[in-house]
Amino acid sequence: MPILEVRNMSHDFGGLRAVQNYSLDLEPGQIRGLIGPNGAGKTTIFNLLTGIYVPTEGEVMLNGTRINGLPAHRIASMGISRTFQNLLLWRHMTVLEHVKMARYSKIRYGLAGAFFGTPKRKREEAEIAERSYGLLEMMGIRHLADQVVLNLPYGAQRRVEMARALATEPRILLLDEPTAGMNPEELVQIMEIVRKVHKDFGLAILLIEHRLKVVMELCHKIQTVNFGELIAEGTPEEIQNDPKVIDAYLGKENVG
Amino acid sequence: MAIFLQNLVNSLQWGSFYALIALGYSMVYSILMLFNFAHGDIFMVGGYIGVGVSFGLLALSSSGILAIPNWLILVLTILFSMFLTSFVGMIVERVGYRPLRNAPRASAAITGLMIGIILETGNLILLGARRVSFPSLIETATYDLGGVFVTNKKIMIVAVSLLLTLALHQFIRRTKWGMAMRAMAFDFVAVPLMGVPVNKVIALTFGIGSALAAAAGILFGIAYPVLDPYMGVLFGWKAFVAAILGGRGSILGATLAGFLLGFTEIFVAMIFPSTLRDLIAYSIILLILTFRPHGFFGEPYSARLRL
Amino acid sequence: MPPPAPISRTFRARCSRVPLLGWLSGALAAVVLERFVGTPLALAVGLPKIPALFGIDIMLKKPLLIPNAVLYTVLIYLLPIAAVALSTAFLTNRLAGGLMKLPVAVPVAVHLGLLYAALHFWADVSDYRSLVLKLTMIAIMLTLSLNVINGYMGEFSCSHPGFMALGAYCASVVTVGLFVDGNYFGIALLPGETGPFLFPIDLVAGGLLAAFGALFVAIPSFRTRGDYLAIISLAFLFIVKSLIENFEFVRGPRGMSGQPDLAGLPTVFSWAVLCVWSINNFVRSTVGKAMNAVRDNEMAAEAMTVDTRRTKIVAFLFAAFWAGVAGGLFAHVLRYVNPGTFGIQNLAEVLAMVYFGGLNSVYGSIVGAVSISLLGEALRPLEIFKWIIIPLLLILVMIYRPTGLIAFKDLEVATLLRPKQGPDGER
Repeated sequence: MPILEVRNMSHDFGGLRAVQNYSLDLEPGQIRGLIGPNGAGKTTIFNLLTGIYVPTEGEVMLNGTRINGLPAHRIASMGISRTFQNLLLWRHMTVLEHVKMARYSKIRYGLAGAFFGTPKRKREEAEIAERSYGLLEMMGIRHLADQVVLNLPYGAQRRVEMARALATEPRILLLDEPTAGMNPEELVQIMEIVRKVHKDFGLAILLIEHRLKVVMELCHKIQTVNFGELIAEGTPEEIQNDPKVIDAYLGKENVG
Repeated sequence: MAIFLQNLVNSLQWGSFYALIALGYSMVYSILMLFNFAHGDIFMVGGYIGVGVSFGLLALSSSGILAIPNWLILVLTILFSMFLTSFVGMIVERVGYRPLRNAPRASAAITGLMIGIILETGNLILLGARRVSFPSLIETATYDLGGVFVTNKKIMIVAVSLLLTLALHQFIRRTKWGMAMRAMAFDFVAVPLMGVPVNKVIALTFGIGSALAAAAGILFGIAYPVLDPYMGVLFGWKAFVAAILGGRGSILGATLAGFLLGFTEIFVAMIFPSTLRDLIAYSIILLILTFRPHGFFGEPYSARLRL
Repeated sequence: MPPPAPISRTFRARCSRVPLLGWLSGALAAVVLERFVGTPLALAVGLPKIPALFGIDIMLKKPLLIPNAVLYTVLIYLLPIAAVALSTAFLTNRLAGGLMKLPVAVPVAVHLGLLYAALHFWADVSDYRSLVLKLTMIAIMLTLSLNVINGYMGEFSCSHPGFMALGAYCASVVTVGLFVDGNYFGIALLPGETGPFLFPIDLVAGGLLAAFGALFVAIPSFRTRGDYLAIISLAFLFIVKSLIENFEFVRGPRGMSGQPDLAGLPTVFSWAVLCVWSINNFVRSTVGKAMNAVRDNEMAAEAMTVDTRRTKIVAFLFAAFWAGVAGGLFAHVLRYVNPGTFGIQNLAEVLAMVYFGGLNSVYGSIVGAVSISLLGEALRPLEIFKWIIIPLLLILVMIYRPTGLIAFKDLEVATLLRPKQGPDGER
């Protein structure tokens, strides 16, 4: 049974149809690529899946439960986590605070703990911190834990975002162009990280990516969208040879 | 029925003040997303400048240097005071807001608040605690329209404020500068790249808003001759609420909301004890904002994002 | 051997090795000294009496006495504090180190005890000092709670005087009704001795009423993003004020007086400490840091499981609660309240304290509240010019440090209290 199932999802912005009849079957542990030219609606699909927008039509099922219409934080705590294309970090917070924050929905000490600093809170905060250090270690940024994110280099900020996304204990991870703006060396590192989290956490991953090398190497299956509509779906080889994809995406790139 | 109409006339006058002040708040807010908390005090300063100018013109007139009739003095007073007060607004912008353009918006709001306090205190220091009265330039003539009494002053106040609002509307729609203002309200980041002199447009916005506030101050002085240094505080904050109620940056909205506030206040006072005026008027505003959080004509803060 | 450093630098270096414990001991020594030899010393240096606020008021009133006032301040405050703090640095460092090994409550209690003792002796000199001190501590509570909304959460709330008024009136109605003859129940229902026991409950009730009122602002405001809180909270402020003015039960615009004398220095001090403690707890917990996440990027916060709406409402109600408690204390310190107190003027003062001290910072709020309150009192001799100087000062701070003097700094108790020098002389 697919862990994330999307049936005929559509979304309108005012009169404009941004996503049209999008469907997806994401199996547990699968890495799925989502490609398409700029403005094709890829990020909109992410926003629809995570509850930032509510789909106009269609339904989104997580483990057989319908989740469209739920508030975004509920969907996130049910196991869909994400990173953002243009790095949405909290400018005044440290790296460690970022990762701890993503544990918000798992915190049990409640308001009494927050106001009065109960022993339970101390225990729980220490637990969260330890777990967060573990994630930072894994991303190779533990030494930056007390830095404010704004002062970090771009590559490190990407890793913070990844660590933060993993701290919510997701079952599905949506990565929105994780390699945007990276040099070849950083690119190899981030691909390594994606492979590692995929293996260690057994995650299903949905990946928006412009660099075909990354998609072809990482993904089991690839979807192509154009003008908000799914135009092709298949293995990397199939997609590479699909004339519609070449027209919409590769062809255009070659001309440009 | 006559009582109702009488109150309608009164509330038109009362609403004129709010509407004119609200326009200034609304214009600044639409361009800088900034609460100009000094604006109420600029209304007060405008009123006082009006007193000074009118006494000056009266003195010139009676000494025979510039023999002009009183109605012309009034017109000149309004125009000249608007002109002078617009500089007050531009100075406030230059001193208090421009250095803070890249700072958090709230910090700029605080400087505005402080400039307001300085204007009030400065007035008290300059003129002392004694009350200043507006000279009576035109004789009050009362017309009885079937039980409803209308004075020439009331007609003039409402007419002048509507005229000014219309002029502002035309300015913003028709002129190059007005177009620059609209463009900046739409997109503050891109417009400077198009060669629009941002600082000048912002200064002009403050200048026009302040001139309108000065007009309101003088009209207020004509209706209620005694001025006091704190008159801007209450009027200003109420007009501020009206500006937001009208919707972000909407000229029509700010005007309508100003008049609506005037109506509400007058009619509440007609039906209930007048001490309940603020209570009921603001409760109504709270209710309206609960159900229409972006005001009458404002765009929702973000139409697409549900967050 | 290195060449001897200039005196000023060695002095500063030595000062930096004094732990907080040392400074507090010094302050205590200074105020005890003033308590016993203050009056003769003041007369000896040619001052009519002990200067109330570090001599600033005297300097402004009679510029000729400036040297005398400075001399007094140096002799009574600066010299004893420096002497005691520096000479006992070794001892206090050892002591602080020892205390830190115990559960954190112990060193905190010791420091607070010292602080209270110092404040007590200082305030003991005159009723005026005592009043200023109490009002300053109430200002700290108000500033800090407003900082939760305007700083930590990044919204702009104007309703703080309204919450304060709700707390003040609620607390006053209860105490006046229960403990004073000739009011709501004809006679006092309870003997005055029970007052101190019921007063905390009374203040909490005031705080809860304020928090309940805050719901009416929070629910409509936090449905959408943007600046609506500013307007809705402003409307709320006017509504509360007008409500009180029209409510004959609380004597309308004439105000309520005759509150029993329940808010002594220890009471106000304890509540201020409680307020700072709980707010500091809150803003450093992950639940509280969610406010910062919401402020810095709401979409990312939602995507990271943060219930943004709940976060905002909880923080807003919490802040309103403390404003209500502060209002209750305020009413019982002045023993008179009227609705005019809780207007735009009051709002401007609290906002000034928040933005002067620094956003998103407990230190900042304490510094802001203390400096603006004391400045306001000390500049009293300048009369109306005070209201030119304070706004100008604030404008300058805003221009050069737009987020305030000490912004974005966490108050860590352990760092604050720790010894500044190890037993073997190392830092």
